[in-house]
Amino acid sequence: MSLVLLHRRLAVSMGLTALVAFAGGAGFEPISAALAALALTTALFWHPDHALSTRMEKVLLPLAALLVARALMHVLVIQDDVVVPVVDLLLLLMAAEALRSLDAPNDVRLYTLSFALVLASTAYRPGIVFLIAFVAYIVLATLALMVGHLRREAESHNVRDLPISRRLVATTGALSGVILAVALVVFVGFPRVSQGWARQGEMLATSIAGFSDQISIGQFGSTILGNPQIVLRVEFPDGPPEDIGSLHWRGRSYDRFDGIRWSRSSNIPPSALPRFYSDRWSSELIEQRVFAAPLNVRVLFALHPAVSIEPENGIQPLFDNAGDHLYWGGGAPSYTAYSRIQPPGPDSLRVAEGYTPRAQHYARLPNDIDPRIAALADSLTAGLDNSYDQAVAIQRYLQTFEYTRDLPATARETTLDHFLFERRAGHCEYFSTAMAIMLRTIGIQTQNVTGFLGGQWSQFGDYLVVTQNEAHSWVEVWFPGYGWVMFDPTPPGAGGSSQLTSWFWPGSILFDGLQHRWSKWVLDYDVEDQAGIFARWSGLLSSRTTDTLDSPSEESTRSPVGVEILLLVLVAGIFWARRGGAEFTPATHAYLQLREACVRADIDITPGLTPLALVARVREQRATASRAAERVVDLYLRARYGHEMLGESELREMSEALGVARKTLRAKA
Amino acid sequence: MIPALFAGIKDTWRKLRAWRRITFTSGGFVFTIGSFAVGFSAMNTGNNLLYLLLGSMLGFITVSGWLSEQTISGLHIERRIPSAVTVGQSMRLTYHVRNVKKRLPSLAVEIFEEGLPEGAFLTHVAAGTTVEARSTNSFVRRGIYPLGTVTLSTAFPFGMFLKQRDIHIAAEVVVCPRSDRSVRTPSPGGGRVPRLGVSSRGAAGTTGEYRSLRAYRARDDPRDIHWRSSARLREPVIREYERDGAETLWIYLNTRAEPTDAAEVAVEVAASMAARAVSEARPVALVAGDVVLEPGEGPSQLERILDVLARVDFSPTNAAPAPPVDPASCVLVCVEDGAGFGDVLAVGRNAKLHVEEAE
Repeated sequence: MSLVLLHRRLAVSMGLTALVAFAGGAGFEPISAALAALALTTALFWHPDHALSTRMEKVLLPLAALLVARALMHVLVIQDDVVVPVVDLLLLLMAAEALRSLDAPNDVRLYTLSFALVLASTAYRPGIVFLIAFVAYIVLATLALMVGHLRREAESHNVRDLPISRRLVATTGALSGVILAVALVVFVGFPRVSQGWARQGEMLATSIAGFSDQISIGQFGSTILGNPQIVLRVEFPDGPPEDIGSLHWRGRSYDRFDGIRWSRSSNIPPSALPRFYSDRWSSELIEQRVFAAPLNVRVLFALHPAVSIEPENGIQPLFDNAGDHLYWGGGAPSYTAYSRIQPPGPDSLRVAEGYTPRAQHYARLPNDIDPRIAALADSLTAGLDNSYDQAVAIQRYLQTFEYTRDLPATARETTLDHFLFERRAGHCEYFSTAMAIMLRTIGIQTQNVTGFLGGQWSQFGDYLVVTQNEAHSWVEVWFPGYGWVMFDPTPPGAGGSSQLTSWFWPGSILFDGLQHRWSKWVLDYDVEDQAGIFARWSGLLSSRTTDTLDSPSEESTRSPVGVEILLLVLVAGIFWARRGGAEFTPATHAYLQLREACVRADIDITPGLTPLALVARVREQRATASRAAERVVDLYLRARYGHEMLGESELREMSEALGVARKTLRAKA
Repeated sequence: MIPALFAGIKDTWRKLRAWRRITFTSGGFVFTIGSFAVGFSAMNTGNNLLYLLLGSMLGFITVSGWLSEQTISGLHIERRIPSAVTVGQSMRLTYHVRNVKKRLPSLAVEIFEEGLPEGAFLTHVAAGTTVEARSTNSFVRRGIYPLGTVTLSTAFPFGMFLKQRDIHIAAEVVVCPRSDRSVRTPSPGGGRVPRLGVSSRGAAGTTGEYRSLRAYRARDDPRDIHWRSSARLREPVIREYERDGAETLWIYLNTRAEPTDAAEVAVEVAASMAARAVSEARPVALVAGDVVLEPGEGPSQLERILDVLARVDFSPTNAAPAPPVDPASCVLVCVEDGAGFGDVLAVGRNAKLHVEEAE
């Protein structure tokens, strides 16, 4: 393969990997992506001649102009997202450059376009595919830049057959490992400070179907399809709770029901602050480190009640009156939540007393509620004198119903009364709605809550995966003095609860584990992670010192790592600088020292002065040193031009003569 | 004390710069600016992928610096230069480059001489091998050109940065004047030439009456070696013969003039006369300033004449013409007219060199 062809193929391959990298993050318009991929793949194997290349350029130029106009229209007229038209333009330009004749010196343009695509993909939140494509891109770029440089050098020096061995290609490819290592060091070590001079970049949110800011029981005529998209990955630093399947990842709460859908009132009064739960609920704190996918609703999911939430990637948590944790900021939130999930015991709840929110929000019933519902609630709670037992009774009753994802067949069958008295089957929203409304009919304040139930344990990464399949709805009941307590009337079958077992084939587990690590250690890597890594390294370095001392304090044993590194860099730098000048033979070195001594003695030494001329100058200007200088030069000429190997005695003689010459020259000066 | 300190710092800096110089190529400059821009964007947005991209760009810069260092280090160079070169002719410098590194080859290395425009290019020097590279240059003026610093230069592997390393190899190139000018045949006075001060006899030659023995020189006719004397003296000696003094061409180059183009033309005229005399197998002698070259013949004599002419300096303060022989038997070559010589070839103040031809 010729150098030119190899170079073109490498540059085009860079374009292809950039395409994959972008697809791994932002995705494409399928037609433009497919056309670009086709053009680039074609360019790997076919190259037009110069004439055809020129004709194709004339066709592609107006197309590019059209795409520029389209991008401008998006910016100026439609005021829409400009990324798609710009990326389309990039793809067209890249395809056009790839399909030019081999003699076209367009390699830099191909590099630039592919780099622009990689750069653009970083603006999104690409998955592990980006990493794979990025590594491939670096390898290809290393090779392409090297081959391209050799190609240009060969052309400029009219060298026709410059040898490129496979070993050279392999060695250069291996150098990309060094580049990636440097990238890793910079990535880990570059201080994550001073972010957001021009406001942190807004990541594009991805909407996940199935979770929204509304609950509706009005859908009919189909089946709720499964959606395996991952929305939460949760790590438990203190170990996972025992019953993972029963974990309720609380998201949004709703107070108003109009007979079909739930919504939120705008003027909800404050109910219970997180600190309230911290004081009244005495169970053990459970720490959850949550890596969430971006949703169209900015909610922080956590086990109820979350008493504290610590953001980890620049988001700003908020707490609203309904007890929901929201946030400001872009991107996918990652945070650590602390919850006390074990509610107070039944005995405490049965005698609960204290503040109760205004009934107009949490006890309000829809206008046209079927009176049979209240009657049913009354009958179920007859003889029970406290809210807790009443709630448990209704919950137990509803759990005798059947859980199904099949939606009612007609609109008439979507009503709450049809669910309670005829169908007696439905999905979680029917159960939670029924319980919330039935409790309200007997004066107990409730709210409907959405979130996720359970999750799947990934053995590969030791974390909980929560997918859209686990979307769930349940009820919270207000107990004075204790706040909102969760009840879930949905019978088993809702959500996923495959505890500690693999949930899909092993490859997917592995892939998701990688994806999780990618998100955790790359996309969400921040100053705290950085500090943690440095602290661990510092600890490793200091532990060695600690062992050698008798009873040092921790502060005194910590070795100054920064100073050590600085010294190391300094020594390496000096060594590197010094090694450059050590390639002269002893004779040449002695001669050069003589020249320097002459310069210091103000003897007129011009750059091109020959050794014998130097001796003549010394004789003219410093006659006393001429004999020693003459001996040094004589030996130098014998070694340098006479191809003689000077023996030890001659070298010693030369050194002595040099010493005499230098001393004499110095004295004279 | 302080000036000495400054001198020391300056000297150290000069050495450091002499060992390695790094300059941007245009692509490298853009790449570095781009790295800064990506770094700025990374810090501005906190986007971790931009940090990754920045790291890889710095990785390219690091590898580029390290590999270019490896490329130009571990190369030992020997330079071979021609003994003399003529103005306008190509001079080919030959470099024998040995890669003493154990594993790494050196690729795409250029070799430059300080002051010479054209360099040599090494495509590939495998580890432990020696290759030869040549550069071709030409000179437009005669003279002595010192060669000192050989610069190894490479932008390998990515063409982003040009790294250079200097190696000092002292030598000189003697650039002789052109000797192919058309010059009219000079006509100095005939008869035997009385010599003033140096000798009263005619030039030594290869024919005629026996004169003396002398050491063998390169290009002498081996048939003239006097074997018996050579055996006795343990070095080759040849017989010299007295030639007819009337055959010797004495050229006197007047160096008392401004060092202008016209002076250079005068040098070329003298060289051309000498070359013609040698081609006619005629003895020739040269007086240039205070340098007197004894009469001789053959290519070796022409080489000596050209060597003298290559080194001659013109100055209005030089000594007035004082040839060691009767001026009437000499040909004066000068810029302006002179008197008292057998013949005078004055080139005139406006004489021009054939620079175009030389180039």
